[in-house]
Amino acid sequence: MVYDDSLSFVYLGPTKIIFGSGSSTSELESEMSALGCSRAVVVTDPGIIKAGLSEKIVKTLGDKCVGVFSDVPQDTGIDVVNRGAAFAREKGADIVISIGGGSVIDTAKCMCILLTEGGSLANYEGIQLLTRLQTPHIVIPTTAGTGSEVTWVAVIYDKDKGQKILIVETYNAPRAAILDPQLTLKLPPLLTASTGMDAMTHAIEAMTSVQREPMADAMALHAIRLLSTYLPQCIKDGSNLHARGQVQLAATMAGWAFGNAMVGIVHAMAHSIGAVARVPHGVSCGILLPYCMDFNISDGDEDAIAIYATIAQALGVSTRDDEPKKAAMAAVNEIFALLKRIEHPIKLSAFGVKEADIIKAADLSIADGAIVNNIRCVSDKEEVLAVYRKAL
Amino acid sequence: MAEAFKAFTQEWMDEWKKTINASKEYKEIAKDWEGSVSITVNADPSKNVPEPVYMFTDYWHGDALDFLICDNAKAQTAKFIMSGDYSRWKQVAKKELDATKALMQGKLKLKGDLTYVVRNVKTINKVVDLLTEVNTIFPDEV
Repeated sequence: MVYDDSLSFVYLGPTKIIFGSGSSTSELESEMSALGCSRAVVVTDPGIIKAGLSEKIVKTLGDKCVGVFSDVPQDTGIDVVNRGAAFAREKGADIVISIGGGSVIDTAKCMCILLTEGGSLANYEGIQLLTRLQTPHIVIPTTAGTGSEVTWVAVIYDKDKGQKILIVETYNAPRAAILDPQLTLKLPPLLTASTGMDAMTHAIEAMTSVQREPMADAMALHAIRLLSTYLPQCIKDGSNLHARGQVQLAATMAGWAFGNAMVGIVHAMAHSIGAVARVPHGVSCGILLPYCMDFNISDGDEDAIAIYATIAQALGVSTRDDEPKKAAMAAVNEIFALLKRIEHPIKLSAFGVKEADIIKAADLSIADGAIVNNIRCVSDKEEVLAVYRKAL
Repeated sequence: MAEAFKAFTQEWMDEWKKTINASKEYKEIAKDWEGSVSITVNADPSKNVPEPVYMFTDYWHGDALDFLICDNAKAQTAKFIMSGDYSRWKQVAKKELDATKALMQGKLKLKGDLTYVVRNVKTINKVVDLLTEVNTIFPDEV
């Protein structure tokens, strides 16, 4: 692998992982007890309740569940967090248990801050402002892709400002994540494919970040192996519990990888096309990933080529003896092939994206914070636009 | 040999501001930046920093405006409030530590609109780059 001589890094992975089919009910109580807690508020959303995913968990908790807060929309906001925290405080909760996807998990993360510190969430907008552990939080994810269960970032909409705010606090990382593959069995094929490609993008971009480091790379490489093997199996048979579990684990590993090493050009472009044309995040990551990989090696950078050659091995399309450039291209081609195997969209135009949209998005991409971590330095919006055009 | 300035003095701040305002590259990169950033250096008596140092820096569309040694009250009025230990700031000032990486790793703290910072990370990196052009004498090197 390629690291600078001056390699120095901090790797954080404070979240305990409990994995297994049925673990969301069989392990939850003992994890609560291990944290010294006995009064849980469950945070979820109406979709999860309707799908029947939270009912069994709440029933298992019995008296230890002092309330269920399910008023969480798709893009959560400060007002939602304030209501949730007030509800939890009123119920005397000493732990928050989130059951759901990114929005639910981020709401719960921010509730934990308000429960511990009090005051307004706006006081905590920023990075690493806290100085002590926050109210315990156990995450039970119902999707496999975002990695939110192991990251310490929360994204919350501030209605007054009309924008999303970021709260980055290592002291507020979830204490435990219970990965129960049974909870992902009902995910439809497109959502399975796109969230899986979000995880694949986290893993590959972490490895090609200027902040790459060996611990994150180890997580990323195994995530890539698992995703390339098991994501197609999940699409072929959504009820394949083993494959679902392996993809869930991969998403968590990829979460650790990018939580430490960051992401790059794919995320910069996905954020931007999402803002301009409302293309779902996972879908845009999947579509843009192979084009961005191609872009990153097309200037002949030896480091990038060496890393993609390693990724090709993890994808199972190359060996250590292969010529690096050839292996790197094999990785790019394999991602294209994987998209086809999982019936993932391959062009942005399928989501109504037009030339005018990508021109606007290229402008935004250059100013996106993720782009500065990309292994290939990108400073010209025309370069980004050229990649968008290939993916259009 | 360029004149050397003692870190965390008004003369050093003036030189940093002059270096920023002389940079055409900065003007282009920072053309959209609006607002002030305060920097708090935590006290470290063992490194000749007996009291916390508060600095207030203000930027507007590619120009550096007020660059002041100030008190805590003034520092708290900035749009972005950064703080950290002396040894970390020294590493940043000598480009031994990337400022954004230091934030992510908890080596420095930032209060304020992080999405704005993330969108303008090139501006921050350039301000730090330009600081390295100032010939600096650090308190523990005196």
